[in-house]
Amino acid sequence: MASKYVALPKGVSEKDFDGAISKYREILGDSSVLISAEQLASYTKTMMPVSDTEHAPSAALLATTVEQIQKIVAVCNQYKIPIWTISTGKNLGYGSAAPGERGQVVLDLKRMNRILEVDKDLAFALVEPGVTYQQLYDYIKEHKLGLWLSMPAPSAIAGPTGNTLDRGVGYTPYGEHFLFACGMEVVLANGEVLRTGMGSMPNSNTWQVFKWGYGPYLDGIFTQSNYGIVTKFGFWLMPEPPAFKPFVIQYEHEEDIVEIVETIRPLRINGVIPNAVVIAHALYEAPVKAKRSDYVSGPGSIPDEAVYRIMKDHKLGIWNVYAALYGTQEQIDVNWKIVTQAFSQSGKAKILTEKEAADDPAFAYRAKLMCGEMTLTEFSLYNWRGGGGSMWFAPVSQARGSETLKQMALTKQILTKYGLDYSGEFIVGMRDMHHIVDVLYDKTDPEQVKAAYQCFDELLTEFSARGYGTYRVNTAFMDKVAETYGPVQRSVHKTLKKALDPNGILAPGKSGIR
Amino acid sequence: MKKSGQVASVFFFILTTMLMSNAWSAQEGTLSTGQVWKDGAEIYTKVCAYCHETNVGPQILNRQLPAVYVRAIVRNGNRAMPPFRASEIDDESLEKLTNFISHKTSQH
Ligand SMILES: Cc1cc2nc3c(=O)[nH]c(=O)nc-3n(C[C@H](O)[C@H](O)[C@H](O)COP(=O)(O)OP(=O)(O)OC[C@H]3O[C@@H](n4cnc5c(N)ncnc54)[C@H](O)[C@@H]3O)c2cc1C
Ligand code: HEC
Repeated sequence: MASKYVALPKGVSEKDFDGAISKYREILGDSSVLISAEQLASYTKTMMPVSDTEHAPSAALLATTVEQIQKIVAVCNQYKIPIWTISTGKNLGYGSAAPGERGQVVLDLKRMNRILEVDKDLAFALVEPGVTYQQLYDYIKEHKLGLWLSMPAPSAIAGPTGNTLDRGVGYTPYGEHFLFACGMEVVLANGEVLRTGMGSMPNSNTWQVFKWGYGPYLDGIFTQSNYGIVTKFGFWLMPEPPAFKPFVIQYEHEEDIVEIVETIRPLRINGVIPNAVVIAHALYEAPVKAKRSDYVSGPGSIPDEAVYRIMKDHKLGIWNVYAALYGTQEQIDVNWKIVTQAFSQSGKAKILTEKEAADDPAFAYRAKLMCGEMTLTEFSLYNWRGGGGSMWFAPVSQARGSETLKQMALTKQILTKYGLDYSGEFIVGMRDMHHIVDVLYDKTDPEQVKAAYQCFDELLTEFSARGYGTYRVNTAFMDKVAETYGPVQRSVHKTLKKALDPNGILAPGKSGIR
Repeated sequence: MKKSGQVASVFFFILTTMLMSNAWSAQEGTLSTGQVWKDGAEIYTKVCAYCHETNVGPQILNRQLPAVYVRAIVRNGNRAMPPFRASEIDDESLEKLTNFISHKTSQH
């Protein structure tokens, strides 16, 4: 018998689901409860190498108030309906707007999009989940607040709440986003509303300025988790500096990454370079300037020889180190001297600033990301092979040259085995690096889909076998990654889950927790 | 003198109602939604153009692309083009956007 639903939540009968849907309609109104295939298409397309039907939602709910969400969780508890919360829903390459498991109901908070407060003096913001970076950017400009955003590369269409809750990164000195989060409001599975930190205290005005409150710090357990639904999110903004100097340093050999990292680490830890530096491989930058098909055709990874031709033709290094200095002109002048001296020592580095590189499209978009300007140019990556297949492979590495070289070589070796290219970069924290590789493949080609899946699986297996953990992963591989962190962490996660959400209604499966 | 006093009090009135309607601690139910798209051009500039005028996606202006086609691509996505949900671009705004794209004959 054909169902009127695209999918049903696991273990829920159609009759019970009918009951839940009619209650959701009472709470939200008919037009905010989506169930038709046409309405759900935008929640179903993913870039992962599995059939989109495996992540098809049964419905999507568009809530706009905390009260509505409290009522929704009551219905979910009654009927045991799992809901997958998204804020701006642009988790592209990590699962997009689709739920972690087939049949889950998406709770879409995009329309809950008020900017509640931006404090110019204390430089913080409090927003609802649906606020995009573009919206906040426009607000700050309109009100001449002189504050900068730190955003991931999908800037304009993504948002601070979803990005930070998945522990995403940006490229300004505030680039490790969760470090700059300050205060959340969370609807718990039982409908209670928790304000974390100072927000728990009635009449407190320090919710967005002091992170810790009193007692165990709770904000962390609501990131990459399924313990609550975040409905307000506070975070710090960077005052616009008087001067900003972006630059790129190019190197010609893959082994040079050792020298690069050894040079950068002290500059980062000592704060000479304050932002999240990116060390991008030529193949990460090439799509902005070139087409893969101009250099290679047929199966197999792109050969090194073709990569060198791309570098020559498009003025790229094999490694391209993007960073910036911020402050007064005097501060920048002093730090620039330190940076150029450090990088000039071996004679291998080519240092370029806006003067030489302003017209270069790769430099231009990186410079925008480093000062909080909107750009989506990095999506050029999707044109490299075409076909819309992408998964981020994101192992963490020490900021130590020998380690980065090892990780790069291992990644490349495994990608090559499956005929895929190394589109990789390292995002430099202070002591760590997020090694970020876009595993690009053609999702319209069943052979490549299969290869990409196996390749990703092997990357996770081989990296964890060597003690390299992954910081974030797409929804098809959450259990696999959770497993690599061992049984004790998994059991603690589960204990918390049972205590906070005994019916398992909130995003079961997120980070392997159910 | 009197006039400016009036202006000031009207201004004060507007300001306080604005502040009240922005005060998130007030009753949630009474609050208006945050952002609303002004017109098709705004959506084009603040979403589509970042990809469609930077060589990420193909040019879509000046091609008289049929509105139904544009709407289908926006809602479903296609290969490298991500879909956009009705919660991001509501149906009415999408209509304005597709009109803008279909009828735009020359801009740059
Ligand atoms: C070309 C390209 C470049 C990218 N570059 C970056 C980058 O530089 N840095 C980076 O971090 N990412 C990057 N990404 C990945 C991703 O697009 C961004 O991280 C994006 O910000 C995530 O989408 P979002 O902000 O809309 O969050 P959402 O999709 O709304 O949320 C992400 C996840 O967080 C959880 N969540 C969201 N809201 C809530 C809530 N209210 N309560 C509880 N849980 C919630 C859910 O599990 C959800 O799936 C890139 C993607 C692409 C395609
Ligand atoms: C993140 C980048 C990105 C954004 C933002 C984006 N697009 Fe696209 N779009 C693409 C890409 C890439 C393609 C080509 C997809 C393919 O064929 O693989 C495309 C294709 C299209 C097509 C098909 C064009 C043709 O020649 O057939 C249309 C129509 C379209 N987009 C409309 C829009 C509209 C309208 C918006 C704004 C709401 C938008 N896009 C926003 C990246 C984007």
